[in-house]
Amino acid sequence: MSTLNLTINGKQYGPLEIEPGMPMVNFLHEYLNLTGTKFGCGEGICHACVVIVDNEDGSSSTRRTCISNVMLFNNLKIRTIEGHATKNNVGEIIALHPVQDAFVKNFAFQCGWCAPGFTNETVALIEKLKKQPIPKDNVEQVIEDTLGEHVCRCTGYVRYFKAAKKLILATKGLTV
Amino acid sequence: MKQWELSRRDFMKKCVIGGVTVYSAPMLLQQHSAVAAGVAPSLAKTWFQDGKPAFRFDAIEKITGEKIYGRDYRAKDIPSWPDTQHHAFIVRAHIADKVYLGLDLDVIPKELMPYKIITAADLQKNDLKLPPFYGDNMLLEKGNVPDYLGHEIAILLFDDFDRFLKAKLMLQFHEHFVKYAPETMALTSASKSPYAGWRIIREESANGSQGEDIYSTYHSGQFFPQYEGQKLIWPKPVKGSSDIGEQGMYLAETLRQDIASNEDWFTLKKEYKTQSIEPMMLEPEAYNGFYDKKSQTLHVVITTQSPQDFYLQAGKVLSESPLTKSIQNLVVHSPYIGGGFGGKDHTIFPYYGMIASIFANAPVRLANNRFEQFQSGLKRHPFHFQNQLAFDKTSLKLQGLVADISLDGGGRENFSSSVTAVGASAIQGIYYIPRNDIVATCLPSHLPTAGSMRGYGSLQSMASLEMMFNEAADEMKVDPFKLRRINAMVNGDKNTQGSLPLENIRYQEMLDLAEKHEIWQNRKTNKAKFDQANPDKSMGTGFGFVTKDYGTGSNAPSSYVGVTPDGKVVVKVFSVEMGTGTDTSQATLVAEYLGQAADNLDIAQIEVFDALEIFDDQSPYLMSQEHQDKMAKNPRWTPMVISASSASQSAFFQSHSTKFAAKILFEESLFLAAKAIWEKQGASGISIEDVSWQDGHLHAEGVEALSLSIICKKAHAQGMITGVMTHGFNRWEWATAKFEINQQSKEYPLDAIAFEYGIGANGTLKTSQNKQGFVVQERQTVNYPEVKLNSAMVRYYTPCLTMVDLAVHKGSGEVEILRTHTWIEPGKVHVLELVEGQIEGGLTMGIGHVLHEALPTDNSGAGNGEWNIDRYKVPFAKDNGVWNLDYTLMPAIEGSDVSKGLAEVVMIPIVPAVVEAIYQATQKRFYHLPITAKDILEANA
Repeated sequence: MSTLNLTINGKQYGPLEIEPGMPMVNFLHEYLNLTGTKFGCGEGICHACVVIVDNEDGSSSTRRTCISNVMLFNNLKIRTIEGHATKNNVGEIIALHPVQDAFVKNFAFQCGWCAPGFTNETVALIEKLKKQPIPKDNVEQVIEDTLGEHVCRCTGYVRYFKAAKKLILATKGLTV
Repeated sequence: MKQWELSRRDFMKKCVIGGVTVYSAPMLLQQHSAVAAGVAPSLAKTWFQDGKPAFRFDAIEKITGEKIYGRDYRAKDIPSWPDTQHHAFIVRAHIADKVYLGLDLDVIPKELMPYKIITAADLQKNDLKLPPFYGDNMLLEKGNVPDYLGHEIAILLFDDFDRFLKAKLMLQFHEHFVKYAPETMALTSASKSPYAGWRIIREESANGSQGEDIYSTYHSGQFFPQYEGQKLIWPKPVKGSSDIGEQGMYLAETLRQDIASNEDWFTLKKEYKTQSIEPMMLEPEAYNGFYDKKSQTLHVVITTQSPQDFYLQAGKVLSESPLTKSIQNLVVHSPYIGGGFGGKDHTIFPYYGMIASIFANAPVRLANNRFEQFQSGLKRHPFHFQNQLAFDKTSLKLQGLVADISLDGGGRENFSSSVTAVGASAIQGIYYIPRNDIVATCLPSHLPTAGSMRGYGSLQSMASLEMMFNEAADEMKVDPFKLRRINAMVNGDKNTQGSLPLENIRYQEMLDLAEKHEIWQNRKTNKAKFDQANPDKSMGTGFGFVTKDYGTGSNAPSSYVGVTPDGKVVVKVFSVEMGTGTDTSQATLVAEYLGQAADNLDIAQIEVFDALEIFDDQSPYLMSQEHQDKMAKNPRWTPMVISASSASQSAFFQSHSTKFAAKILFEESLFLAAKAIWEKQGASGISIEDVSWQDGHLHAEGVEALSLSIICKKAHAQGMITGVMTHGFNRWEWATAKFEINQQSKEYPLDAIAFEYGIGANGTLKTSQNKQGFVVQERQTVNYPEVKLNSAMVRYYTPCLTMVDLAVHKGSGEVEILRTHTWIEPGKVHVLELVEGQIEGGLTMGIGHVLHEALPTDNSGAGNGEWNIDRYKVPFAKDNGVWNLDYTLMPAIEGSDVSKGLAEVVMIPIVPAVVEAIYQATQKRFYHLPITAKDILEANA
């Protein structure tokens, strides 16, 4: 057993005694009851299970939780799909994150199983672009590079990609 | 006092099966353990704005990670369950040609041992069996050869997640855990009877399609073969015989001889092979269940497209076992599912979960990982076509089609027989064929069970004929549009079964649009430019045009639309939400009549419709006309009370009953309530044609606009109709019936109606209410579609044409989709964005089918438990020309409000389009799917 400490969506968890070989997605589901992160393939291919890791240097990256053992997240700060929307004092969701709002209003998903992965990846991308804006002509390529490894079986990707493009072009400071 | 609070917290009774009362239950979070307390009502209600959906009805929950899927739920989330969560693991056979000898649990340490191993002996001892639809041998008995790869052997139960996970990781791929005898045995499938043998023969009259057919399935009836082992014995051909089998066989033989010998005909004879495919919905199947012995209640959470099937069959399983016959109640939670594509339709999986619950000491969860899903989930296995298509050399008109189709039905029959029939009846695509002999056979195999997934057989069959059309045009040196124009069906043409498709046929119009498109017009110059700019690639353009049937020949939708005194709209339907947007479309379409969308929508409803007090007695597919005529005299009889929920059925069938419920509610009550308010204010002479809904208010010239809540308050106070329940029956036509409503005889395309009245209803109305609080409207007369229409097999179609530009990389053989354009006739569109999303998703699935997805059909296939998407390639965004995926929706015919089923059709025409475009790029034709980069390289070598 290993001792785990980590912060998820701003909340501190630990110290917890954990089997070190347990995949992170199982830890989120079975120990914390955070089931918004979806299990798809278990091989790191579909990217449905992606979460955001907030690094100490202020940057953020994404990581697949089905192929990453829980101890790889020890002492890290992460964000999951449950952490993006704004909630009121009784815990009700009252407003969506701009990325969630863009996907929802563009009917980007159908069954929705891939939506948490696409959302986390796009949130991290938007935050990166805030720091490192890109030329407008590069937006499509950057979206392809960033979201291109995510699997969606219902919608053919079109609405995710177009929603992300629209949001990036409409958000001040993301493009030059 | 009647409660009007919109509560989702009560269990809803569904039905009573074998003494077990089946309930459905909404999924509820235990607030103390839940992550979120839900979506604030102020945010939730913004889904419908300015008279249309601003986003999906279920969008916020899905995008915020709320617990809404079956796989999300743990015991502690569910009220009335203990918090303890146990876990189950199904052991499956990874080979199918050796005798199973038992399990070797010595391969794991003692501390990881399951507390219970459920085996075939446990099931036998307790008389626990699968419902008959799924077959026998639920668990494989020691000493027997598995029926198929992935045959379930045992269910292991663990009381702790950590130990469960460790044990599963050790056992799932362990070479020696499942013990087999060394000798190789014959496959058990080789000794089973065929699943199906269908034959569709037609010969038109001397007057062509317009006259009465000389012979057709619809006109003459169906006949079936005898089986000798796995051989199909058809009747002998006898000229002039009164036996439909002998007569049909004579005409079939004559056609075959003509095709072989007529020198005035150009005949294309081709063989096509399709692959074994996996639906690969992103949510693998899962189950959670709790057998509460104290209350004799079994609670289950399932992830299925067909909860109705589970409601109706699970209770029977429980009632027939001495171990479970004391169970009084079955509570079924069927939340949202993370994709289905037919892979969760009539799946066997929840029945294994139910068995686990019966033997577990606490709530038990069973959840496939992706390897297990590949091993055990529903598939569709190869089709083999031997097609012959004959054209008159002068007129270029089709003279006949002969198709010999065989398909692999997998380990359990499931829907393979009907998939065989649908595939056979669909092969003609958009074309009029004067003579046909289509033979389709389905045999059992050692592969995992195959079901209804991905187009119900039509994807494979229609694509094969469309590939032939492209090749025939090339061979005869005829423009492919011209050849299609000459042969595409027009109004009045019959299908291969001899029945008339319903609605106007617009194939010529679609061909005109596609031919004029820039992709086609500039294909030669575009290729020249592209190939010059990309010397390592070769470009090609192709198209395919198909028309996909929808409907089952016995669709029986029910709907309820009601209003509360404060103006909230409540809709209840029998359909299930599979991701296609049924909830959004059903909630939206009532706005046309009520000025606003539903505030509350309940899906997958059954028992609520008991209020209609209707019954059925025989299979609507098999009953005689005499029986139907006799029974139709009873105003409470219907050919079918409930039909299965499936993809492509909600837009047309479910919408029909919902629309008429809303229409009747408005016309027979709410408009009258509004009129009464206006008349009290001094207005007069306002008719229903004078009013319209704008911004949630009912407007008429010269009077104050009324909100729905004011109108509903009046309707309730006056005891007027405040809820309408409807039931329809469709056997390729809607049943119509007359009812007396508000002292007038009204005819509707429905066969049962019941009303709910407002709180001010008078004593007479109150006493005539049934126990559900409804008053059934007595049917005066009814016209059911004649039973002969069962032989029509198909009459509703959605046409779709797709054109593609692609490039083939000369060095790697990789195919790159450059752009696509799709033309589709969806009829009246309920929610545009949902239709567009289905087009985009369907096309991408078709690209996966034609270029990427395949499973081996030997012992190395998915049933061996070693498959995942590292080996089974699904299309990514880079594979579908994501930025250049365009479409044209044909406008609905003026005056028509028919909405067509279209969930599956779009994946089909892209298949022949890509095959043709590859030919145009490489000058190589392929006759199997998928066409891989390796295939292209080898062909070019």
